[in-house]
Amino acid sequence: MPWLLLFRNLFAHPVRSLLTLGSIVVAVFLICFLRAMVGALEAGVEASSQRRLIVQSAVSLFVNLPTSYQTKIEAVPGVDSSMKMQWFGGYYQDPSNFFAQFGVDAERLLRAYPEIEIVEGSALDFEARRSSCIIGEQLAADFGWSVGDSIPMVGALYPRADGSTWNFEVAGIYRALSNNVDDRTMWFHFEYLERSLETGGALGPGGVGVFVLHLAPGADATGVMARVDALFENGPQRVQTTTESEFQRQFVTMLGSVPTLLSSIGGGVLFAIALATFNTMLMASRERTHSIGILKALGFTHRTAFALLMGESLLLCGLGGAIGVAVALAIDGPVRGFLMSYGFTAFEVAPSTAALGLGLALSVGLLAGLAPAIGAARLRVVEALRFEG
Amino acid sequence: MSVEAIIRLVGVERTYRKGGESVRVLDDLDLEVPRGGYVALMGPSGSGKTTLLNLIGGLDKADGGQVIVDGEDLTRLGQGALARWRAASVGFVFQGFNLMPVLTAQQNVELPLLLTNLSRRERREHARHALALVGLDDRRSHRPKQLSGGQEQRVAIARALVTDPILILADEPTGDLDRDSAGAVLELLDKLNRESDKTIVMVTHDPRAADSARSIVHLDKGRLERIEDRRPLEPADSTTT
Repeated sequence: MPWLLLFRNLFAHPVRSLLTLGSIVVAVFLICFLRAMVGALEAGVEASSQRRLIVQSAVSLFVNLPTSYQTKIEAVPGVDSSMKMQWFGGYYQDPSNFFAQFGVDAERLLRAYPEIEIVEGSALDFEARRSSCIIGEQLAADFGWSVGDSIPMVGALYPRADGSTWNFEVAGIYRALSNNVDDRTMWFHFEYLERSLETGGALGPGGVGVFVLHLAPGADATGVMARVDALFENGPQRVQTTTESEFQRQFVTMLGSVPTLLSSIGGGVLFAIALATFNTMLMASRERTHSIGILKALGFTHRTAFALLMGESLLLCGLGGAIGVAVALAIDGPVRGFLMSYGFTAFEVAPSTAALGLGLALSVGLLAGLAPAIGAARLRVVEALRFEG
Repeated sequence: MSVEAIIRLVGVERTYRKGGESVRVLDDLDLEVPRGGYVALMGPSGSGKTTLLNLIGGLDKADGGQVIVDGEDLTRLGQGALARWRAASVGFVFQGFNLMPVLTAQQNVELPLLLTNLSRRERREHARHALALVGLDDRRSHRPKQLSGGQEQRVAIARALVTDPILILADEPTGDLDRDSAGAVLELLDKLNRESDKTIVMVTHDPRAADSARSIVHLDKGRLERIEDRRPLEPADSTTT
């Protein structure tokens, strides 16, 4: 097998080969990236606890519920405990320094979310001081915060009445043990927010965004959801209770059909690149006709002719695929850090995704090389030698 | 003294279909070429010279008759066997040189050796030797584009003889060359015939090239017209019908 000829043929037209290679690189990179993105969008849903329910306003997630609902909800059979949770929507120094912050019942947080493990500081300190908070490991690393630091936050939804910043003391740093909780969130006392609103120290809507319910052992989720919803059937504010996974799914749905769209884009890109590669290989096979004739005249077989064209196609696509995967893996870390700010904790170019990208590239190579390779194998020597392209 | 025939054609026929019509290119052709012979095939365009050369070289198959080369009936061989036979027995020299443009002179000459069991080092040595034989040892790292036409054809001759074939088939080897380069190529072929005992069959329109052969076979309309002996082959030569 004249391998050298195969390699030399591959870059006989360097500009064309590099352009085709570049397009395969981009396609494979996009496929890996988009698949990882879809995975990140769906990971929260998959990792959600089946033992947690979310109670929100039946009108909209953006309409708050009365805090007084908590006692009534906890009285519902099957409910073990509940926790208030309120989106704060602030930022540190600049709006670009975005990360999630939630006001919660501090003493109930670790019971509601056993996936949160305090690795520095202590939960007791967090529960003891109303202005304290706990932050994720990644968030601490990103901003260089440690236990004892005070974080000044600008309240976008809840500005301070005097225009000053909110100050949260770091009482602990946590590690997320599951994909439905990310490492870039700040949890603070709901009570701190509530009191500030009541005393006029801060401005903004009162009430609670959602209640997180923890089911009692053996409780039937469907029955509990129905009972909670029925409890407020006649107001003053109707509620909608869902499982946490359903709640997460609603978030993904709020992004429209983004996962489907992303998958469609990936498929479209792949199809376009496949056509471009087919075209390149057809041009290459036409150019190789005379060379194939020479090789056959020298005694090389149909099999060699087939292998040369197929090898060229597979090599081009395989190389493009490998580079595309390498680029996707290289940006995996930075993109994950960026997406965590928006709550997508599970962005990862997994080995299966890398294998898929490479596999698709090789499949395109196989399909694009098939017709030219068969054509080369079938070429009659005399006709090939006569061909002047 | 008669010399063993290395090429024997008996009642060879070849017909092509062109635009829905059958064109008989070779018609009941008989021909023998002795081992170590140097034969020029001449005739007007369309007389069947190149077709005959392709049949002798196993590049094409006859529709009828027998094409026996060195005891092998090529009409009975399948495509794979024919390819193996070509690799072992024939060296081709074409009018347009037919070198691989992406490979160097050395790599072009090494190409047929990939079909042998030689090691990489042996292949390199054989190719260097062949290039030295055609006087191009110092051009081995040049690509075809960096060589003159005459040099390209000498590289092609080196490629043709590197496997030490019994037969060298040349199709208008001087057709694309200037007078001096053509002279050098003909001299080389003559040397290969005389000193290495290679049997050479050459298609040509050029009377000067034909003059270098020991006999000239004239074809017309696919039939053998006549055979012209030019100079004796030592120790003996005969081309018979």
